[in-house]
Amino acid sequence: MAQVLLKNITKRWGDFVGVDNQSLEVKDKEFLVLLGPSGCGKTTTMRMIAGLEEPTSGEVWIGDRVVNDDLPKDRDIAMVFQNYGLYPHMTIYDNIAYPLKVRGTPKADIKPRVEKAAEQVELTEFLQRKPKALSGGQRQRVALARAIVRKPRVFLMDEPLSNLDAKLRVTMRAELKHLSRQLQVTTVYVTHDQIEAMTLADRVAVMEKGVIQQLGTPDEIYNDPENLFVAGFIGSPAMNLINGSVRDGYFITTGGTQLVKVGGGDRGSVVLGVRAEDVDIHNAGQGDIDVPVYAYENTGESVMLTVQFGKQRIIAKGDRHLRKEMDDVVGLIVNPEHLYLFDPETGERIRQD
Amino acid sequence: MTGKQRKRFWNTIQIILIVIAAIIMITPILWIFLAAFKTHVDVYQLKLFFTPTFENFSTVFDAPYNLGDKLINSTIVAGVTVLFAIPIATCAAYSFSRFKLRFETSMLVMILATQFVPAVVIILPFFVMFRDLGLLDTRIGLILVNLAIVMPFAIWMIKGFIDGIPLDTEEAAMVDGSTRIQVILNIVLPMAAPGLFTAGIFCFIIAWNEFLFALILTNKDAVTLPIGLALFKGEEGDLWNLLSAAGIIIMLPMFVLALIIRKHFVQGMTMGAVR
Amino acid sequence: MRDNKLKYVLVLPAILVVFATAVWPLIESLRLSFTVGRLTKPNFPQGYLGWENYTWAFLEEPAFWNSVQVTAVYTIVTVVLTTVLALGLALLLAPGGKFRGGMQTLLILPFAMSPALIGVSFRFMFNPEFGLFDSFFGIIFPPLAEISWLSDPTLAFVVVVMADVWGWIPFLTLVLIGGLASIPQDTIEAAQVDGASGWRVFKDITLPQLLPVLAVVLILKAIFSLKTFDQVYMLTNGGPGTATQTLSHYIYFNGMKYGQIGYSSAVAWLMVIPMIFLTYLYAKHVFKKG
Repeated sequence: MAQVLLKNITKRWGDFVGVDNQSLEVKDKEFLVLLGPSGCGKTTTMRMIAGLEEPTSGEVWIGDRVVNDDLPKDRDIAMVFQNYGLYPHMTIYDNIAYPLKVRGTPKADIKPRVEKAAEQVELTEFLQRKPKALSGGQRQRVALARAIVRKPRVFLMDEPLSNLDAKLRVTMRAELKHLSRQLQVTTVYVTHDQIEAMTLADRVAVMEKGVIQQLGTPDEIYNDPENLFVAGFIGSPAMNLINGSVRDGYFITTGGTQLVKVGGGDRGSVVLGVRAEDVDIHNAGQGDIDVPVYAYENTGESVMLTVQFGKQRIIAKGDRHLRKEMDDVVGLIVNPEHLYLFDPETGERIRQD
Repeated sequence: MTGKQRKRFWNTIQIILIVIAAIIMITPILWIFLAAFKTHVDVYQLKLFFTPTFENFSTVFDAPYNLGDKLINSTIVAGVTVLFAIPIATCAAYSFSRFKLRFETSMLVMILATQFVPAVVIILPFFVMFRDLGLLDTRIGLILVNLAIVMPFAIWMIKGFIDGIPLDTEEAAMVDGSTRIQVILNIVLPMAAPGLFTAGIFCFIIAWNEFLFALILTNKDAVTLPIGLALFKGEEGDLWNLLSAAGIIIMLPMFVLALIIRKHFVQGMTMGAVR
Repeated sequence: MRDNKLKYVLVLPAILVVFATAVWPLIESLRLSFTVGRLTKPNFPQGYLGWENYTWAFLEEPAFWNSVQVTAVYTIVTVVLTTVLALGLALLLAPGGKFRGGMQTLLILPFAMSPALIGVSFRFMFNPEFGLFDSFFGIIFPPLAEISWLSDPTLAFVVVVMADVWGWIPFLTLVLIGGLASIPQDTIEAAQVDGASGWRVFKDITLPQLLPVLAVVLILKAIFSLKTFDQVYMLTNGGPGTATQTLSHYIYFNGMKYGQIGYSSAVAWLMVIPMIFLTYLYAKHVFKKG
C-alpha cells in the first residue's frame, strides 16, 4: 500500500510561509495533481514528500510510516524534474541504469530492465547517445524511463512538460496518461497548467499562497468551485466574474443591469460567476440584454466575443461560424443552470438550495 | 542512526573543519599584524599578550629605512601603470569584443601567453636594455615593465565586461547617426565604467605587489615597497617588528582594494576560463 | 574611420605593448642565450658560443639538474596538495551555508598578499626561537621541537611548499566554489532520489561535471608553481644550500649574482618549453568555450 499522507505540513523560511499547515491524503495508486500559479507552494510540498526539503513542522507519511527522518534515497520514490536532471556525462543507458546500479541490483538484471524501460518510452535506438545529443522531448522521456525503471512506491513529477513546446506538450500528455494507467503507481504531479491537471488527474489539489483551495476531481473543481480563486483559475477562457447584487431573486450588475434569475434572498454585494460557454449569443433584441461587442476572436474551433456593459466586460463563447464586428450589438442570454455566487469579501462560494 | 541524525553529525563536522580552515588561513596574517605592534623586545618572544606600541610605524618612515619614499614609488608606479594600461586595454578589448579580426585567435593567445612566461625569462634582456638606455633604477622603467605584466589581465577583464553589455544600445545609437568612436565614448565607456574600475584596481594590486622586476631593475631611487622589505635586516638578523609594520603598510591597502572587487577576482585571474 | 580599419587601430597599442614588453624580450633572450661573457665587463657580449650554454647546463652542471628536480617535485606536490585541499574546502563551503559569504571574504585576504610577503611571513613563523608554527609543530611532534626548520634541507622544502599551498588555496577554492555552483542542482537531487549516498553522488555526479573547471585549476596552478620566485627568495633564498632553489631562482642567481647572462638566458629558455606546453593546454581550454 503506497498512499501518501501529509499531516499539518508547514514550511517556513524566516518570515515567509511557503506552505501553511496543510493536510492532504493521496490514495494508493491515485494520480494527484498539485495545481497552482508560481509561488503557491506546490513544488515545495512535493519536495517535502521527496525529502529534498524538510518540513518546518508536520508529518510526512509514505505507506504506513512517517518518513520525515528518511533521506530521499530511502523513501523508495522516483522523481522527474522540471529540467530533467539528466547526468550529462553518462550515456542514456547509464542514466536509466543509475538507480538500479546504485542500489546494488545485480548486473544481469540491469540490462533487461533498462531496455524494457527504454522501449516503453520509445527510446531504444538512443541508448548509447549522451543527453546533449537529444531533443527536449527525448530528454524528457529519458527522465521518465529513469523513473520507471525501478518499481517505486511513489512517482513525483515536477512540471515535467513545462519546458516542451506547445505541440509536444499535447502529445506527451497523452503518453504520460497512458503510461500512468499502465504502471498503476501512486503519483503526485505538480503543474501550473490547468489543462494538464484536468486531463491527467484523478484528483486535483488547487493551491494558492501555501494553502490548498480545493481538493476534488477535475469535474468537481470545474463545475463546483469552492471559491473565487478556483473558479477564476480553472477553465480557459477564465470564468466570467461579475460584480453586483441580488434583489428580488435577480442578479443586478453594479451598473444596474438586470441579468438573470438566481433565486435566494437579497444580497448587497455579490459576485456572479458564469462560464463563457454558458453565455449564449443571439441577435440584438432576442436576448435578455443587449450589449456592444468589444472584441471578436475567432479561434477556429469557436468564436470568443468580449462584450461590454457598463464598466465590466464578459466573454461569451459562440459557434465558430458566427461573424460579428467591433461595436455590433448582440443579445445575451445567461444560462441560469450553471451559475455561481461568491462572497466578494471572503471569496467563498455561496451555496443556496 | 537515522538519516536526520547523520545529517546533523556531518553538519557539525563541517562547521569544525571550516573553523579550522579559517584559523589556518588567518593566523599568519594575524601574527604579522600583532608583531607590528610589538616592541623590539616583545617580538622575539612568543607572546600573545603584550603592550602595543605604534613606534614601529614611525620608525620605518625614518632613515635609514625611509619607507615613505618606497611608498611613494609604489604608488606612482602602480598608479601610472594603471593609468596607461586601462585605456590601451579598453580599446583593444572593445575591438576584440565587437569585431571579428584576422589573426584574432593568435593575438589573443599571444596576450594570454605573456602571462604565463616566467618573469625571469624576460628580465635579463630588460636588464641589459635598461642599463644601456639608462632606465635602471627609474620609476619610468618600472612602469614600462609593469605595463607588460598587467596588460593581459586588463584586456581579458575588460573584454569580459564589454561582452556583457548588450549590443542593442550601441546599435540603436548608430542607427540614430553616431559614429563608432562616438558610440564608444558616449555609450560603451559609461556603461563599462564599473568594469574598468574593477580592472584598474586588479591591475593596481598586481603592480603594487610586483617583486622580481623591481628587485632586479631598481637599486636605490626607484625601490618599491615589496623590495623595501629586504632592508630590514639588522646585525642580529631580521628586525621583525619593523618588518611586520612595513608588511602591514604593504598589505592593508591591498586588502581594502581586494575586498572592493572581490566578486570579480576569480574571473580576472583565470582570464575568463571560469566565471 | 570605417570600422574595418578602426578595429585594427584600436587593437594596435595593446599589441605593440605586448610585443615590445613580452615578445621582443623573449626573442632577445634567445639571442643572449647563445652568448658568453660577464655582464660586468665593458664589452658585452664577449662572443657567440652557439649551443654551448645549453650543453653546459645539460651535461656538466649538477646545480642545473638540482633546480630542475626541486622545481619538478615542488610543482607536483604543490599542485596536488593545493587542489585536493581547495576542493575539500570548496565542498565544505559550497552547500550554501551561512559561513560561505564570510569565509569567501576571508579567503580574499591571503590572496591579496604578495608572494614575497607570504615568504616573509612564513620565515617569521618558522623562526627557531620565536616562530609560532615552529613551536606549534614542536608541541605536536616532539622530535621536531629541537630542529630548526629552515636549516634542514627537507624541512625547509616542506615550509616552502606549505607557504605556497597556503597562499594559493584561497584562489583555487574560490574558483572551485564557482565551478561547483555551476553544476545543475537537479542532477545532484536526481542522484539523491535515485539512491546514491553522499559519497557516490560526489564520485558519480559532481566530480565528472567538475572536470572542466578542475582541469583549468590544475593547469593554472602548475604554471604558477613553475614560475615561483618571490616567496622562495624571501623565505629561504634558495637554501639551505640549494635545497629549495627553484629554476627561477637558479636563473636569477646566475644572471644577477654571477653575471652569467648568456647561461641564465639559456636556462630560462629551457624553462619556457614546459610553459609553452601548459599554455597551449590552457588556451585550448579557454578557447573551446568560444
